[in-house]
Amino acid sequence: MTGPTKRRRLSRVPRILGRRGDQVAVRRIRWLLGVYGLALLLVVGQLVHIQVVQADEYADASVRQRERMIELPATRGRIYDRDGDVLATSVEGATIYADPRAYRGGETPDGELVPPAGDPAEVAAALAPILERDVDDLVERLERDAHFVYLARQLDHEVGDRIRQLELPGVGVLVEPKRVYPGNGLAAQVVGFTGIDGYGLQGIEAQYDSVLSGEPGTLLLERAPGGLDIASGVRELVHSEVGTDVVVTLDRDIQHAAEVAAAEALERFDAKGATVLALDVSTFEILAMASTPGFDPNERSEGEAEAWRNRAITDMFEPGSTQKAMTIAAALEEGLVTPTTEFTVKDRIRVGSSTFSDAHPHPGSVWTVGQIMERSSNVGTIQVAQELGEERLDAYLRGFGLGSTTGLEFPGEAAGMLMGHEDWWGSSLPTIAIGHGVAVTLMQLANAYATIANDGLAMTPSVVRGTVGSDGRLSPRPTGSGQRVIGEDTARVVQDMLLEAVSGEYGTGALAAVPGYSVAGKTGTARKPDPEGGYSDRYVATFAGFAPAHDPQIVVAVMVDEPYPIWGGIVAAPVFSEVMEAALIARRIPPDGSSPSLSEALVRAQAVLDDLEAAAEEGEEPDEDLGVPVEEPASPPAGDPASQ
Amino acid sequence: MSAPVTTRPVRERVRERRPSLQVVAEPRPRHTLTYALVIVVLLGAAVFGAVALNALAAAEAVEARSLERQVAEGERTYASLVAEVSALEDPGRIREAALELGLVPSGPARHLELERSLPADGAVVETRLPETTPDPVKPVLSAER
Repeated sequence: MTGPTKRRRLSRVPRILGRRGDQVAVRRIRWLLGVYGLALLLVVGQLVHIQVVQADEYADASVRQRERMIELPATRGRIYDRDGDVLATSVEGATIYADPRAYRGGETPDGELVPPAGDPAEVAAALAPILERDVDDLVERLERDAHFVYLARQLDHEVGDRIRQLELPGVGVLVEPKRVYPGNGLAAQVVGFTGIDGYGLQGIEAQYDSVLSGEPGTLLLERAPGGLDIASGVRELVHSEVGTDVVVTLDRDIQHAAEVAAAEALERFDAKGATVLALDVSTFEILAMASTPGFDPNERSEGEAEAWRNRAITDMFEPGSTQKAMTIAAALEEGLVTPTTEFTVKDRIRVGSSTFSDAHPHPGSVWTVGQIMERSSNVGTIQVAQELGEERLDAYLRGFGLGSTTGLEFPGEAAGMLMGHEDWWGSSLPTIAIGHGVAVTLMQLANAYATIANDGLAMTPSVVRGTVGSDGRLSPRPTGSGQRVIGEDTARVVQDMLLEAVSGEYGTGALAAVPGYSVAGKTGTARKPDPEGGYSDRYVATFAGFAPAHDPQIVVAVMVDEPYPIWGGIVAAPVFSEVMEAALIARRIPPDGSSPSLSEALVRAQAVLDDLEAAAEEGEEPDEDLGVPVEEPASPPAGDPASQ
Repeated sequence: MSAPVTTRPVRERVRERRPSLQVVAEPRPRHTLTYALVIVVLLGAAVFGAVALNALAAAEAVEARSLERQVAEGERTYASLVAEVSALEDPGRIREAALELGLVPSGPARHLELERSLPADGAVVETRLPETTPDPVKPVLSAER
């Protein structure tokens, strides 16, 4: 090989080698780029997956981690009486809770031991006197295998403050609405109560729960990992809507008088229960609805559940002689009798296989319809009812509201019992005519008397006047139109008859009189049915009436369960008098002229002074009853159920 | 006979091809430090502004929260006072308090009817009751109130 050829070949080697190196490098770069591209593709793909495909999910997760939604409980609406006095309201209460894990100790994720934050026994001993709870009970709660236990709920706010100051480990205080009833037991069966979670369980609280409860609000916060709020973070507050207030038709003063009178009757006559109901005649609004024994809704766990019942609408009883007004009103309306129509009334009458008698034996007497009512004659009323017949008696009694609910829509209202006349048998007419074989609630009885007092026009009774919204103004509850049961003239005749039943010579309701006012009404004394059939030897004493008799404004009905003595005129009539007097004064109804004249009053006052002076001269203690008229009934009022 | 080839010396030819050079002024030195300072100041101001705004917002939020707490406390006090006033106005409590003070239940109400006109009866006297001030605690239950 020549020299130049060899040089050419040698110079070609690096060129060949360089070309091959470039190719390798390029190939490697391409691979690398490919790998990078793949990696980039993966990253971009994951980015798209996170930012586009799963964007909502991650955003939600982020929100869940960072934001916290707190539900703000709505303040429950108040319940007012008809004059705007508070019967039920809500205040902030303190709920005490604990985290029992704090007393058990544990380990951190790093394996470090965490000592217990405190001793359950010591914490319980510190809490017991404040919470008024047993130490052992608190210890048992603090040692439970749980993350959260209630120690006490809805205590006074001040109690919560005291516990906060103790800074007990593992113990916290929550603010929770607490329902309070400032009148304690006042109108408890009507107002009702709420449960521990603020839902209405009884009475108006239950009936108007959706109105009173309002709408809860929300507070959206951003919180740092430590749990602290991020001050400049998102903070969206949706205010809770305060519940709507409810205004009931009760008058607090009349209600109180009714409850006091019923409680006194319960004690005085050793009765099982007593119920009083007062109605406004022009509107059929319930002014008072009292049942004893009562209860304090603030401390309802201490009473018996039996006392929660609103007896005026849930309990049925035989109306007895108080129903005679309806029977006679029906006969008058039908034109079968007039107040002066005379009947020869014996002291007993046999109808079918049954014999009905008056309370006291009397020879066959010629009595007018008015006298039959005044004397509360069973026999006379049956004679009037026989003129009327079954079908019409049934229709009128239903017209007066017997056998169906009143439309009050109060929870637990009973419809009473009145068989259809098709199902009556031989003795049904006379039995039902004098208020037996039929059952009513006190609400129905008061409603029937209000119909008579309202000149024969029946209306739907109401216990709620309306609601008060955020503007603080009353939105009245719609009222229905009336339904005529008897004519005006008939109603006024019955009103006069009932006036005689109280103030007449033979009236059985003398103790129902109210000084200064004319009172109309009717007593009733009825045996209670025996659960095993027939009648027991226990009685229900009733009185229903209205005042002023010539311009009725208020109806009061009273029922005393199992009293002794048994007579409505002795037991129920005085309760009526007391409640009616309080109602007339509270409603500012002027006396209607049956009061003593000035000269009579001066003469009486002088006589009282003379007696006082005489007693003082003789060194005697003055008689507490001096000057107060005491009327003993001439004879026990009639109304005893028929002997069968 | 060919003409004699005159050749210019190489150095001369090179000299002719050289551009004319001249002395230029020395470029002004760039104030990099100034720029850096300006940027730092601007960034600092921006950060400070953001932090300051954040702090202000936080302060306002704390203030707002404090006011909310005061409002809540006021509402709590108002609600408890309403309940307290209502409890004090309860007829049963008033009755008990009256009895403790030695008062006794009144007897039956007495009403008198005048049998003849008294001298003053001829005069027209219009008695006007003082207008009642609306109770701020109670709702407006009728147009009259």
